[in-house]
Amino acid sequence: MTEQLLDAACELEAPDVPAHAMDKVLDQYEAKVYKNRKKHMVTVDHTLETPQEIAANVRTVPGMLTHRGCCFAGCKGVVVGPLKDALAIVHGPIGCSFYTWGTRRHKARAGEDGLNLVPYTFSTDMRETDIVFGGEKKLMAAIEEGIELFHPNAVMICSTCPVGLIGDDIHAVAARAEEKFGVKCIAFSCEGYKGVSQSAGHHIASNQFIRRVIGEDDTPPTGKYSVNVLGEYNIGGDGWETERLLRRCGIEVVSVMTGDGSVADMRRAHTAGLNLVQCHRSINYIAEMMNTQYGIDWIKVNFVGVNATCKSLRAIAQYFGDAALVDRVEAVIIDEMEIIDEDLQYYRGKLKGKTAALYVGGSRSHHYQQLLRDFGVSTVLAGYEFAHRDDYEGREVKDSIKIDADNKNIENITVAPVDGKYHVRFSPEKLEELKRDIDVFEYYGGMIKEMGNGTLMVDDLNHFETEEFVKMLKPDVFFSGIKDKFVLQKGGILSRQLHSYDYQGPYAGFRGAVNFGHDLVMGLYTPVWSKVVPPWRTEPALAGTIGGEE
Amino acid sequence: MARRNEPPQVKERGALVDLNVNPCKMCMPMGSSTAAFGVQGCVTILHGSQGCATYIRRHMATHYNEPVDIASSALTEQGTVYGGEGNLHKGIDNLIRLYDPAAICVSTTCLAETIGEDVAGMLGRWREKHPDSKVTFVPVASPGYGGSQFDGHFRFLRALMESVEMRPQDAPPRQLNLVCGPMSPADMRFLKRLVASFGIEAVVVPDLSENLDRARLPVYDRTPAGGTPLARIATMAGSALTIELATFVPDGCSPGAYLHDRFGVPCTRLNLPVGLRDIDALVDELTAFAGVRMPAALAEERGRYLDAMIDSHKYNAEGRAVVFGEPDFCYAAVRLCVENGVVPVVTAAGSRCPGFEEELRREVREAADRFLVDRWEVLEDADFGDIERLAVELRANVMIGSSDGRRIEDARGIPLVRCAFPIHDHVGGQRVRTLGYEGSLTLLDRITNALLQRKEEGFRAAIRDEFYDNTLLSQAHRHRESASHELLAEANAALAEDRATAPGAAQAARPAAPGAAQSSLPVILSGARSAESKDPALALARKTAQHPCFNGGCASENARIHLAVAPACNISCNYCVRKFDCANESRPGVASAVLSPNEAFERYRLAKERVPNLTTVGVAGPGDALADWERTRATLELVAQDDPDMTFCLSTNGLLLPRFADDIARLGVTHVTVTMNAVDPAVAGRIYRFARLDGVTYTGEAAGAVLLANQIAGIKRLVELGVAVKVNTVLVAGVNDGCVEDVGALCAKLGAAYHNVMQHIPVAGSVFGDLPQVSRTRLDEVRKRCEAHLPQMYHCRQCRADAVGKLSEDLVRAVEEAEGRRAAEPVLADPVVATLVVPRADGARTRHAPLRIAVASRSGSVVDAHFGQAASFMVYETDGTVVRYVETRETERYCTGQEACDPRAKADRLERSLAAVRDCAAVLALRIGQAPADRLRACGIAPVCTCDAVRPAVLAAAAELSAGMTTIEFKEAASL
Repeated sequence: MTEQLLDAACELEAPDVPAHAMDKVLDQYEAKVYKNRKKHMVTVDHTLETPQEIAANVRTVPGMLTHRGCCFAGCKGVVVGPLKDALAIVHGPIGCSFYTWGTRRHKARAGEDGLNLVPYTFSTDMRETDIVFGGEKKLMAAIEEGIELFHPNAVMICSTCPVGLIGDDIHAVAARAEEKFGVKCIAFSCEGYKGVSQSAGHHIASNQFIRRVIGEDDTPPTGKYSVNVLGEYNIGGDGWETERLLRRCGIEVVSVMTGDGSVADMRRAHTAGLNLVQCHRSINYIAEMMNTQYGIDWIKVNFVGVNATCKSLRAIAQYFGDAALVDRVEAVIIDEMEIIDEDLQYYRGKLKGKTAALYVGGSRSHHYQQLLRDFGVSTVLAGYEFAHRDDYEGREVKDSIKIDADNKNIENITVAPVDGKYHVRFSPEKLEELKRDIDVFEYYGGMIKEMGNGTLMVDDLNHFETEEFVKMLKPDVFFSGIKDKFVLQKGGILSRQLHSYDYQGPYAGFRGAVNFGHDLVMGLYTPVWSKVVPPWRTEPALAGTIGGEE
Repeated sequence: MARRNEPPQVKERGALVDLNVNPCKMCMPMGSSTAAFGVQGCVTILHGSQGCATYIRRHMATHYNEPVDIASSALTEQGTVYGGEGNLHKGIDNLIRLYDPAAICVSTTCLAETIGEDVAGMLGRWREKHPDSKVTFVPVASPGYGGSQFDGHFRFLRALMESVEMRPQDAPPRQLNLVCGPMSPADMRFLKRLVASFGIEAVVVPDLSENLDRARLPVYDRTPAGGTPLARIATMAGSALTIELATFVPDGCSPGAYLHDRFGVPCTRLNLPVGLRDIDALVDELTAFAGVRMPAALAEERGRYLDAMIDSHKYNAEGRAVVFGEPDFCYAAVRLCVENGVVPVVTAAGSRCPGFEEELRREVREAADRFLVDRWEVLEDADFGDIERLAVELRANVMIGSSDGRRIEDARGIPLVRCAFPIHDHVGGQRVRTLGYEGSLTLLDRITNALLQRKEEGFRAAIRDEFYDNTLLSQAHRHRESASHELLAEANAALAEDRATAPGAAQAARPAAPGAAQSSLPVILSGARSAESKDPALALARKTAQHPCFNGGCASENARIHLAVAPACNISCNYCVRKFDCANESRPGVASAVLSPNEAFERYRLAKERVPNLTTVGVAGPGDALADWERTRATLELVAQDDPDMTFCLSTNGLLLPRFADDIARLGVTHVTVTMNAVDPAVAGRIYRFARLDGVTYTGEAAGAVLLANQIAGIKRLVELGVAVKVNTVLVAGVNDGCVEDVGALCAKLGAAYHNVMQHIPVAGSVFGDLPQVSRTRLDEVRKRCEAHLPQMYHCRQCRADAVGKLSEDLVRAVEEAEGRRAAEPVLADPVVATLVVPRADGARTRHAPLRIAVASRSGSVVDAHFGQAASFMVYETDGTVVRYVETRETERYCTGQEACDPRAKADRLERSLAAVRDCAAVLALRIGQAPADRLRACGIAPVCTCDAVRPAVLAAAAELSAGMTTIEFKEAASL
């Protein structure tokens, strides 16, 4: 039954995307911007002989109302922020600290040590005098106060724009503080101007975790099969649902990076049997480096979507290669499917044939297409905010990515096997076999391979393009974030936030899929839409004028 | 945290100076970009890295529920080295192309200011390149380290005055300038209406009223149409008067001062028109300026506000407020509080502001003196670390400010009135009203109601603290978090001492405490036996011997009945699922009425007729027997009148035991089971999600401590009164399995008679649902170890709350059938029942009978579960007017999550569900799939899809059924 159900969902009619939609948007730009933005847009065509290429992870055009954040946001807001036992001090003026306070819904509950610092935000609140005379002393005092007051397992110091410019040596302060107070202090040079988006911050955070956290505590896992879940930030409880599933299958989760995660768990991450990479963009660095240092293999998983979850669980079982685990995983899948089956069918009945556009993050736009497909919803446009080319085109293009001025400033650390902690899991022959049999074994194929011919892939979609594409593509729902939510929904089209889930979720795993189906149906069938018909539903595309061209 | 004047060498909690814990302010660009929305055709570009614009847009969008377009020059590392002129020029070009703005606010950030960007020069060079451009630039120096959003707001306004080419000659006669500080768009709309009602022509800056609170338009206008036009701003230099509605305008940023110094426009600075005094001041000013009388409608509004002040003064007099946020907001809210008798015990501005402390102290002192409040604080540069500490120290009972106070609200139970930017967790931030008589009235009502609600929730606690003198209990209550550890240690030590001086009591096979016989309490025990009446301990011994739980040897002969009269519970155990068998206490009135005392008595009578050797009557939930003590008491009294020889027992979590222990003994209850799962509050804190006592909800360790303190006091008191106490402990793997022995040891010291260690049954949906079950072997090991302290109960069956019969055979069905027959007897039939005609499948015969209807519900109060997903059904009977809960029927065993999960072993779920509802006339569910619906119909059961509350839904279904419809379908709203 399960298989039939899943297969049925995969048969999707190709969405109806107007030809030349892309050109019609680009035509409105002046020549320079046209040239720049054209490289960021692809009308997917799998019939071409050479794979299509998209420009990504390059500078945003100023003044274009990008939805991208900064390096600091990627480091403090995304990766470091969810750690519940670390005290993350924002070294800088007050705004940056305030804006990362409770902004992302990475949920956490106190662990055994009772620590949960996620509801807090800490800042050195730099003033004019600190900018002039330097803020190192203030930072040192703030660390001391933080440790005295909250007894964290570690202190994470995240710098903001002015810190790098005035030359505060936060790494030296961290080292002194660590020595003085006996609490691990890690500095992150994640000034907002670094890189071209939050992606730079993910990399900087990953480097420090590899250098200073992972590999310190050798307490082995108790279970036979153990994993780390990388790039799962527990938005709306997704991580909890993922962990529940893994545990049900008899798979021990050593650490989660970093949703509801802790420094304490991360220190023993190297003892796990396998790394699962949920968000490839933000954390593939750690998976690769841990592979070199400790010999831990990784697979790209996706627990968003019913099919995707089944596939991921099976890949894990296949990797460990134990018949008992394979059987257990199948049993869990059958049981979970049985629970959601009726709901899934109901919501699919309501959603089949709808179309969607997605513009989020560096992985979600791909992950959620898989969940949407489970409900018979096809995607007409998808784009990432801060992904790199490999997230669009697959890891095979990694080596051909040009390093530009913005990216070469982001430190790329080289690691070597760690004595006594490096363990070979499988023979080279066996590894080759795994690579052949498991298509996600140390490989991510990117988003494009799963998008239909004629659909659009747009990188760093801006406010203006969003409006124009919506007019032409007329999707039933647009998945993005708070910044374009109101433009869309006041225009009469359903907007669902995939960063914060509009205070709903979890959407991961089997039961999460039902939540998602419910929320989507509820959104599409709300009575208010009968009162507000978007004008472009009735008018021909591009009839209006655009700003500046009266 | 706030800088204090005291010497910094003493570093105690709260006296921090270098670490800001949860900021109570934002940065300058937030203020400048918000204010820029008040100018028609103005867009903002932030000169700096793009994160600044992204964060600010995100925060504004959440508060205003509107799209917020703010551009960025997106400076990168290269820009920090070579300067950002290229980026800024390119950004401006693109903005003009896409937005065609009338004005561009170029607001700097930390980055631009730190590298020393010469924005004026850059804009000049841009002009040289674009000599024809008509766009007006408003450059604002707004580094994040230079001040808060409050400063940013005024810096923009000042820069606006300086940037717009003024044309005083274009001003109409008697024009008024109205300069607004930070306030909601709705409040600005009010101000515009107010001046118009005086017939005054006014230029309002900024005017956010439309741009950040738009009526819905079919087409999104990228550059919002609202806001004050530049052409009107240009006439401000020729106005007759400027009124500046801001008390603490930062030095050098006053638009009014600029217009005065440069163009000679007189300027009056007024407080925000909040509260009678300050609104009157504005109204007087406008009256004088317009030369007209106060409009009648406004006079009426004023009267209504006065009326409201009188109506709520008593409640407000109990108010101890925390006011936090921007300086002007704090001042306005404090003045409103003071004139209504609310004492602002903590006033905290997040930023530093000259003159603020002095002004505020003067204001608060007046109210504090009047109400004899000797300690209150006014802080500037405060963070939420300071605010929380002081709010607790100074016993605040209401907070007034932005939604950033919500964490304190959660942690400390102090209600928060959200009325200032930012409001992130509620909708409608853009519509908040605080200004004018109406706005003040709205705000005042919200403050008063927050106080009233808190009082409503907490007054029992206050009364009990005052009048109920159980030292241990009230101490635990007062020192709930900090002192609970010491208190418990003290209690344990004292008890150990007690026990040591009372030898023999610890191993109480005969559990009466020595002191009990001398008790002057009228303990009613079976009166007929003279020996027993002289020594209650004898009666207790006899009853214990007959109790199937307390005496394993008699379990095969003696039967008991559990009367499920206690639906409410005051704690939430992580191993318990309250979905079906335990209506949620937090929603009184919607609790699924289990059995009323009278119904329970009827059931007991029936059971007594049919179940041989019924010796024991117990109340074991489904909630806590003491949570609604009146129901339990009434039930037991009825039974006691019928048969005083019956053994009564109760089971409870012990939270209310000290309060009712005497009552319990007086009623003749001889056996009480207390569920105690740990002796360490920290461990207990992991087992209980919350404990609710007298309207106060404790969580975590505090919940554990409060519960434990009461359990200890309660058991001690019961033992003193001669009641046999059994202690139940749920053995939860990895949670309390290491310390169950301690529970046994403590309870032995307290004088408990019996200990029952039970396996935790992992229930899907509970917090502990995924924990493995402790094995039988491990359970026996633990019991063996506990045996060193107390006799163990090895024969526990973990019965339901409505069990009847011997432990080994549940006769609940037999009794239910008997109840059914009795209901069908014409003599007993309710007249309403007789009128209900149910068409049967054969159509020939009608029958007068209550209808059985099965309900799929998770919450227990609303039909909210899918048929296929329901793990159980609640079965109700109705005669068309009265709905009676019958029972909950399981459809499947819960999955333990760890045991092998063999799909073949699972029976067809649909068939199981069908079997569970076979005798019902209808099934109510949120949704029923096509296939199951067809199967139900084939079985003569009507599938009904609804989302109504249980009782109305059952009644509606019964009405439809009796009207002759065999199937009812849920009709989807036509509009969908």
